[in-house]
Amino acid sequence: MFGRPFAELKRPASGVGAVPEASDLHPGRTGRDHLRVLACVAGVRPRRVQEMLTVVDLAAATDRRIASYSLGMRQRLGLAAALLGDPELLILDEPANGLDPEGVRWLRDFLRAFAAGGRSVLVSTHHRSEVALTVDDVVIVDRGRLVVDAPLSELVTESSSLEDVFLELTEAPAR
Amino acid sequence: MTGQLSSELLKLRTTRTLAAIVLAGAGPTLLGTGIEGLSPTLGELGQEETQRSIFSAAGSTAVLFSTLAGLLMVTSEFRYGTIRPTLLFEPRRRVVLSAKLAAAALAGVLLAAICEAIAFGAGSAILSAREIDVALTATHVVALIVGPITAAVLGAMLGVAIGTLIRNQAAAIVALLGYAFAIDAVLFGAAPSVGRFLPGKAGDALSGLPAHDLLTPGAGAVVLALWTLVFAAAALVRSDRSDV
Repeated sequence: MFGRPFAELKRPASGVGAVPEASDLHPGRTGRDHLRVLACVAGVRPRRVQEMLTVVDLAAATDRRIASYSLGMRQRLGLAAALLGDPELLILDEPANGLDPEGVRWLRDFLRAFAAGGRSVLVSTHHRSEVALTVDDVVIVDRGRLVVDAPLSELVTESSSLEDVFLELTEAPAR
Repeated sequence: MTGQLSSELLKLRTTRTLAAIVLAGAGPTLLGTGIEGLSPTLGELGQEETQRSIFSAAGSTAVLFSTLAGLLMVTSEFRYGTIRPTLLFEPRRRVVLSAKLAAAALAGVLLAAICEAIAFGAGSAILSAREIDVALTATHVVALIVGPITAAVLGAMLGVAIGTLIRNQAAAIVALLGYAFAIDAVLFGAAPSVGRFLPGKAGDALSGLPAHDLLTPGAGAVVLALWTLVFAAAALVRSDRSDV
């Protein structure tokens, strides 16, 4: 990461914000406390906890226990945690899972704005149509093998969608 | 390290687990004190040894429940997956483990202090209700206060190490309780001269319990500290090498 092993980064949370699993939350803790626990380590000012909860639209649920959160709320709380350290790079795994249509739209706009600020977002997902609306570059990995690493504009043409490209490249030759 | 320690202490304060463990520890302490205080005859109750048994109910309870608290501090992170954000924010495993050991030690102090307050409160109340004077010397009282705190601190750190070694929460709890209630007692019963060096019995030696087969409190502290050190070293190796 940034030319050195992740464990050697001085302030890892300011380098990388990652949400590997939306369910990595203690159900007995409140959303606010989940962020406070991490904010202590990231060395960010306490006000940032509330700011990030507001950014992901969880301000109304901050003092509720996570056990009562929907999957979409958990996704957004995970994102808020990843954003705490104001990272250069966001790594998200299936971030749209559990989000309602407004939530998906919000996430898309948010990630675009984040990237427009000169930072990077790496999203791993199976939602190809969503990817086509969001990303600049596509990496396709099939059975552990890198199949494509190219700008979206080079892959998608008027006659072939990202899904077509994906299926064509990942179809087993024997079939 | 300071940030990680604050984080670990905040983790303890923001779920109900520690409060539940304190409550769970308060019950047996009160029960133990009550049994030891109400069952002896008035004549026995005046004896210093009987009184040490009454007030030492805090020790064995505090060490078991603080070990449980330490164990849950680690295994709940694996159970709920919060270990991933924890390590994303502080990827140096040793810093995380050290902070957990330190936070557990503080939790041990708290647990022992509460159990002692209960044992001393209930024990004194029983003695005064039965109109018996306290026969303990100042040395005994100091040992009854310092011993359980030392045992609980070491026990909590041992719990963190056990939780790091056995990440599965249910398996770790079963292992701890199985050890505490079966293996420890059976081995000690079969061969006290060897069994007293086991972690559970070393902890009992610190509780101020007047049992003649146990180590002295000082030796008990050293033996329990060595067990804790061995387990913590193994935990360090495991935490450095294992994926989460």
